[in-house]
Amino acid sequence: MKKHYIAALVFALLVTTSAIFVERSARAGDTPASGAVIGQPIPDFTLPDVDGNKHSLASLKGKNGTLFIFIATRCPVSNAYNERMDRISQDYKARGINVVGINANSTEPAEEVKSHAAEKHLSFTILKDDGNKIADQWGAAVTPEAYLLNAEGKLVYHGRIDNSRNGDAITSNDLRDAIDEMLAAKPVAKTEAKAFGCTIKRVATQ
Amino acid sequence: MIIRWTLLTVICAVGVVVSLAAPATGGTNAQGARKRKPRAAINRSAAMTPRVSLIDEAGFKQLLTRGAPPQDRPLLVNFWATWCDPCREEFPDLVKIDADYRSKGLDFVAISLDDVADMMTTVPKFLRSQHARMPVYLLDVPDPETIIQMVDITWQGDMPATFLYDQSGNVVYKHKGPIKPAELRAEIDKLVVK
Repeated sequence: MKKHYIAALVFALLVTTSAIFVERSARAGDTPASGAVIGQPIPDFTLPDVDGNKHSLASLKGKNGTLFIFIATRCPVSNAYNERMDRISQDYKARGINVVGINANSTEPAEEVKSHAAEKHLSFTILKDDGNKIADQWGAAVTPEAYLLNAEGKLVYHGRIDNSRNGDAITSNDLRDAIDEMLAAKPVAKTEAKAFGCTIKRVATQ
Repeated sequence: MIIRWTLLTVICAVGVVVSLAAPATGGTNAQGARKRKPRAAINRSAAMTPRVSLIDEAGFKQLLTRGAPPQDRPLLVNFWATWCDPCREEFPDLVKIDADYRSKGLDFVAISLDDVADMMTTVPKFLRSQHARMPVYLLDVPDPETIIQMVDITWQGDMPATFLYDQSGNVVYKHKGPIKPAELRAEIDKLVVK
């Protein structure tokens, strides 16, 4: 009978210590906080487009703002937004907003990104973020994921395009609302919004 | 003392017989079993048919909290979709984990982000191909953000994503991207009674 008590005691001890470890590893599992912060400028960078031509942030800036969207060739969510993304690009071009796509997926080479853009009629510039350096710097996790910079290069909106992947139940046009507010020199009411999407396929880290 | 040993032997013998007999009856497919034993076949096919139900925001919240804590079982939640390649790739590992740990006290639910229109077609078809037995809920919410925020405020909604809740309803482990089975198993081991 004594043996049972000892076993129970050992078990209780094990449970307590493992609980402490679990607590720690849960914290360790947190994704690092987004590098890009609302209200803060995005540091300059240089990335090649799908033809290998280099572009700096300064060279990409639109007169009234710049919109970067992390996109993918093989992600069904990103693909569901192809038409909407291009329409945003067309709609706001005349209003001084430059739309730029960024492909940070290590699984999708530049040639594939180029042919995909041609096939899906994506008329905006698409950069290839090899080694997902910019995705890491900005804390981008998903496709599609938008970063809207104002004329001063400060981040004013980050997140989804809208709330409905298929476009049949859009009730919250978050990205367009943010662009409109920015263009009207109003503060952006909703600066971040999320939706389910595909993970950015980063290069393997050891 | 002799009685105790005799009893133990009898129990062991019964166990061996049952375990030997089980594959013999269970080995034949459900259709064959249905012809011979209708009642058993109904139960069996019910267990084999993946359960996919719609879930709204309130239902999801209830699922996570499972009433008032503390619970007697830890809960594993996986967010996936048939359109998500890495989700499909990790699914066999999750099915194995479900099979290995359900009897040890783990609850496992899979939350599908497929379209409601696919609930009766693509989703159960995939689950059947995986021999999946865990309950699957298809999210039917007007705005996915509330769900993402409810689970983890640092989460961007990238999939797949897997969360392990302890008996008190706290997230004790989370992983974005395809699971690392050994790592996840080690975390579950800390919660279930061995």
